Formats: sequence, C-alpha cells, structure tokens
Amino acid sequence: MSDALTEEKRSQGFWAWLTGLANPTRFMALTDAIMPFIASITVLALAAGLYMAFTAPEDYQQGETVLIMFIHVPAAWLAMMCYSVMSLSALGTLVWRHPLADVSLRAAAPIGAAFTLLALVTGSLWGKPMWGTWWVWDARLTSVLVLLIIYLGIITLGRALEEPTQAAKALAVTTLIGFVNIPIIKFSVDWWNTLHQPASVSRFDRPAMDAAFLYPLLIMALAYMLMFFTLHLMNMRNEILRRRIRTLKIRAAEAG
Amino acid sequence: MFGEYAGYIIPSYLLTILVIGSVFVWIRLVYRSRRKELEALEAGGLKRRSAVRQEANTRDS
Repeated sequence: MSDALTEEKRSQGFWAWLTGLANPTRFMALTDAIMPFIASITVLALAAGLYMAFTAPEDYQQGETVLIMFIHVPAAWLAMMCYSVMSLSALGTLVWRHPLADVSLRAAAPIGAAFTLLALVTGSLWGKPMWGTWWVWDARLTSVLVLLIIYLGIITLGRALEEPTQAAKALAVTTLIGFVNIPIIKFSVDWWNTLHQPASVSRFDRPAMDAAFLYPLLIMALAYMLMFFTLHLMNMRNEILRRRIRTLKIRAAEAG
Repeated sequence: MFGEYAGYIIPSYLLTILVIGSVFVWIRLVYRSRRKELEALEAGGLKRRSAVRQEANTRDS
C-alpha cells in the first residue's frame, strides 16, 4: 500500500515537473541554459557533415552533382519533419491545451517554409543537369510545392487573426487538415509513376546507397535536424516575447 | 572545381547559406527588438500578472 502511494507521489512529481516546463517563464530560463549547447553541437555536426560531403567520391552516374544531394535531401526531410512537429503542436493545442503548443506551431512555420523552399530550389538545380529539366509536374514535386503553399497559408492565417484563442484553434485545425499532404509526399513516388526517384534511404530493406554517400548524408541530416531545433527554440522565444508585449500593451490600454 | 556542374552546385550551396542565414539573422533581429520593446514597457511601470505574483511570492518567503 505504502509502495503504491510512493509510486503515485513520484508520478505526480514527474507530471508536475513536466507541466512546469510548459510554463513560458521556465521555458525561457531553460532555453537560456541549453541554447549554447545545442548551437555548438549543430555547428560541429554541420562542419563534420560538410567535410564528409566534400571528401566523398564522385557518383558514377551523377558525377559531382551528388554534392547537391547532401543539402537537398536533408532540406526535403526537414520540410516534412517540421510540418509533423507543427501537427503534434496542433494536437497539443486542441487536445491538451498546452500553453506552449501554439507558440511551437507558429514558431516552426517560417522555418519549415524556408526548408521547403530550399528543397524545391536545390532539387531544381540538381534536376536540370540530371533530368534535363528544371521542373516537372510529377506527384513528388507538386506535393512539395503544395506543402510550401500550405506553410505560407498558415503563416498568413496566423498574422490575419487577432484574437489569440481563436487564432490558435484555427491554426491547429488548418495544420491538421494540411497534414494529409505529408504521407502523399512520402509515398507519391510509390503510388504514381514519377520522374523523381523512389526512396533510397528510408526503405524497409537496406538503403540503396553506398556507405560513401550514405554516412555524409546522414550526418548532414542530423546537422539539419539540430539546426531546425536551434532555430525553432529561438523563434519560440520570440513568440513568447510577442505575447508578453501584447499583454502589457493591453494592460496599458486598460489602465490608461 | 566541380567541373561542368559548378554552375549548379555553387548556386545550390550559396542559396542554402543565404536562406538559412537570413532565417537566423531575422530571428535574432526580432528577438533584440522585442526584448527592447518589452524592457521599455516594463520600465514604464507595466508588469505581467505572473511577474507581479512572482515578486509577491519572493517577498512572502
């Protein structure tokens, strides 16, 4: 019996600690402490990834354009991962009413849009010498373009709605509806006949890529992921400050 | 360097640096300007309710 009570107290303590992190003031203090550490690891991973990419051999088919793959593929992965983070945040707003969920969603949107734009443009710069065209309206390319439009739509919607609770709900619902595009992007190369090649790394069997290219690619992907988390935390802090300023301005208007 | 594909590889890397660098600089500039604005508001005597509560708790303890 006493063991059960101790266990319950322990779990309550853990929950209190977890919900405590959701407090924006504690979040600001925590990010103050961890930001230099994450930023340093990001720089190290990026340096290692770039070194491995530029010392990798030429691909027998792509030649030196394989160098574009080391920045194009991680950008494309991050474009989808960022949207998945936003979708989880949307659930956090609608289901758990987590105080930082809407902050996270809004902060991630411009970063996701930047990675999506990079995926499209670097893909196009690779496509011209390899496919002989800058662009084709195939399922993969078109669905990624749709993702960019969804990101821009979410950013615009967030700026257009003034009332915070209404804006948070509208953004969360719109984000969750847009999530349908993520599996479409991922499986578009399997479901339709596309010019874009099928998955080479994330397959059920072993990756269809030599280790000489796979390892630099994975390190670059890790570096991009760390870069995303660094930028996301930084932008979440901006969003918290925006809300504090808004609150103080409203209080000033009420007092005056 | 990069042979016949230099015209595709170099713009890809430059654009990546430009886009990610711009996002980083934009976030830093927004942070600075919002910090300044918040400090100016607080210097004018305005405080958030949570900050007031925090001060009260510190006094009580």
